[in-house]
Amino acid sequence: MHLLAYIGRRLLFVIPQLLGILFVSFMLVKLIPGDPAVMMLGPFATEDGLAKLRAELGLDRSILEQFGIYVMRVLEGDLGTSWQTTMPVTSDLAQRFPATLELVTLSLALALLIGIPLGVAGAKNNSGILRKIADYYGLMAGSLPDFWFALVLIFVFYTMLGVAPAPLGRLDFVIIPPDPVTGSLLIDSIIAGNWAALRNAAGHLVLPVLTLGIINAGPILKMTQSTTERMLQSDFSRYAEMCGLPRHVVVRNALRNALPSIVTIVSVLYGFLIGGAVLVEIVFSWGGAGQYAVQGVLNSDLNPVLGFVLYSAILSLVIYLIVDLLYFIIDPRTR
Amino acid sequence: MSGSPNMSAGTEGSAAKGDPLLQIIGLTVEFPQFGAASRPALNNVDFSIARGEVVGLVGESGSGKTTLARSIMQLVPEPGYISGGRVLFEGRDLGTLGPSELRQLRGREISMIISNPRGELDPLQTVGNQIGNVLRAHTPLDGAGIRARALELLRQVSIPAPERRINAYPHELSGGMAQRVVMAIALACSPKLVVSDDATSGLDVTVQAQVLELMRDLVTGFGTSLLFVTRDIGITAHYCDRVAVIYAGEIVEEGPRDAFFENPRHPYSILLLSAFAQNERLRRYWLGDTTAGASRAREQGCPFANRCVRVQDRCRVENPERREFGRGHFAKCHYPVER
Ligand SMILES: Nc1ncnc2c1ncn2[C@@H]1O[C@H](COP(=O)(O)OP(=O)(O)OP(=O)(O)O)[C@@H](O)[C@H]1O
Ligand SMILES: [Mg+2]
Repeated sequence: MHLLAYIGRRLLFVIPQLLGILFVSFMLVKLIPGDPAVMMLGPFATEDGLAKLRAELGLDRSILEQFGIYVMRVLEGDLGTSWQTTMPVTSDLAQRFPATLELVTLSLALALLIGIPLGVAGAKNNSGILRKIADYYGLMAGSLPDFWFALVLIFVFYTMLGVAPAPLGRLDFVIIPPDPVTGSLLIDSIIAGNWAALRNAAGHLVLPVLTLGIINAGPILKMTQSTTERMLQSDFSRYAEMCGLPRHVVVRNALRNALPSIVTIVSVLYGFLIGGAVLVEIVFSWGGAGQYAVQGVLNSDLNPVLGFVLYSAILSLVIYLIVDLLYFIIDPRTR
Repeated sequence: MSGSPNMSAGTEGSAAKGDPLLQIIGLTVEFPQFGAASRPALNNVDFSIARGEVVGLVGESGSGKTTLARSIMQLVPEPGYISGGRVLFEGRDLGTLGPSELRQLRGREISMIISNPRGELDPLQTVGNQIGNVLRAHTPLDGAGIRARALELLRQVSIPAPERRINAYPHELSGGMAQRVVMAIALACSPKLVVSDDATSGLDVTVQAQVLELMRDLVTGFGTSLLFVTRDIGITAHYCDRVAVIYAGEIVEEGPRDAFFENPRHPYSILLLSAFAQNERLRRYWLGDTTAGASRAREQGCPFANRCVRVQDRCRVENPERREFGRGHFAKCHYPVER
């Protein structure tokens, strides 16, 4: 009841929120120096040709008019075309966005697997070897650039040991990709029963997921450790101790009380990594959404950039909705 | 002391009859202090509780009540530590027990009722779950047995509609209700000693009276001993067999209820009592002209010397010994009040 009303209210704000985000990014993108017409026609274009193209693209109108036209198109489901790929942005993103999502989701899953146990162990023993490991880990992960770490992994596991596939995309060229359904190669391979593709795609995921997972476990570890530690010092934990509850029960209850903070940091990381994984995507030639958007910015190819912003914004809104639902489940006081 | 060689937790009757259930000998607790040396939070406290006895521990804020209550459980609030003395429970020195032995003792043989129960219950777990945690830790019950016992306990502490309340979360309970839940947890394993630390101070007067009655009935009904910590000396007059007054970490007077209230010996006890006397002149006399600065305990001599209206030179240099004035009636004062 409560919950449905809440979701309804939330959805009511989605459209204006998206419009706002789109407007701001439209203006920002227009501020980027560079004339798309010049970029498209190359150095030997004539003035006439340029003017004609500008008129075609609507670039000769006022910026507000341009925005209005863009929004009308978006409402019809048309995000424009990328002049670099000569493909509609929607079909480009249909391929690239899932590639990034798959990478980021698996990386954060790994980060949780590393960060939570280490964080809890660190909170449990405020001295001792595990605490030291947790502290150093947080420090290391916070100071390593992810693309550099990716290069190290590639050097060790591809160049030296030869156990990892070449960092050239999500699938070997000789492998026939499964029909796209969800866009995730793993899921689509399973749906198609294409085990060769599944194995190959999983192999390609290992190094980038290790890179992003190991680096992003740092903030999760820190958050888990500090919040769990605070919960262990709070009144209800001291009371649990007075009741003679076993240590693992006391720690479990403290961790459960720390969960909302962990959910928050994971959601922030998730939203951030959609665009923030771009350097790692480039290193592995991942062909993900971040890479696509950056190419767009560099080449005054505006439709991909705006399309990426729109998709990311929708994703963020979905994530925040899920986060609120999780709070709802975890904490009875929010019900 | 006729301690039995059997030291394992949970053995019955290891101490001879007539021995106190709890005996505190020379207990000193200190908080590490930077700068000037000061008095320890508990200074050489001797104190005991007999089986089935209800003892009131009275003192003002900061006098060391919580510190004493919690050092019985070997859980001195951080960063404090026990720097001297012993706590004997049924003849066992609790200071020598390891963490797991202590864990078996806490909540099972000695349990605690704390103030601010809504802050001390886990906000994310139902009442039934939290009672269940304790039962699971200390009894062989499981599943349906735990639920049945939890319902029984809720009924015992007079919680209306226990079948509904067992699924409630702490924030859904009123203060009095939460207090009863904490009592149910304290009584879950039929402990030998219940320590109530300021348990009723957050409640309004009528609820407070109900909870106090209930606590006394339950405790006496099961033959449990109760250490009742409070700032309100009036309560001890109604509910306790014996009264101890603590000031600046020292028990300055202690005695059977009737003897204590009929003939209090320590000027501080009289100061506390005069607050209830409805006699402005009496109160003003015993309160003296102490200012806030002077109310700090001195580093040597009697801790109360700075606030005492009867203070003499000797009081400022020499801390009085504990003296017996009647059967079980002790006070620490060079110039005790005569009638
Ligand atoms: N965390 C602490 N750090 C330093 N000193 C402390 C700490 N806790 C208690 N003390 C010292 O111990 C003394 C006794 O504190 P305690 O909490 O036992 O008082 P209390 O009688 O329970 O007071 P109240 O009625 O306010 O609960 C305090 O006056 C203070 O000097
Ligand atoms: Mg206290």
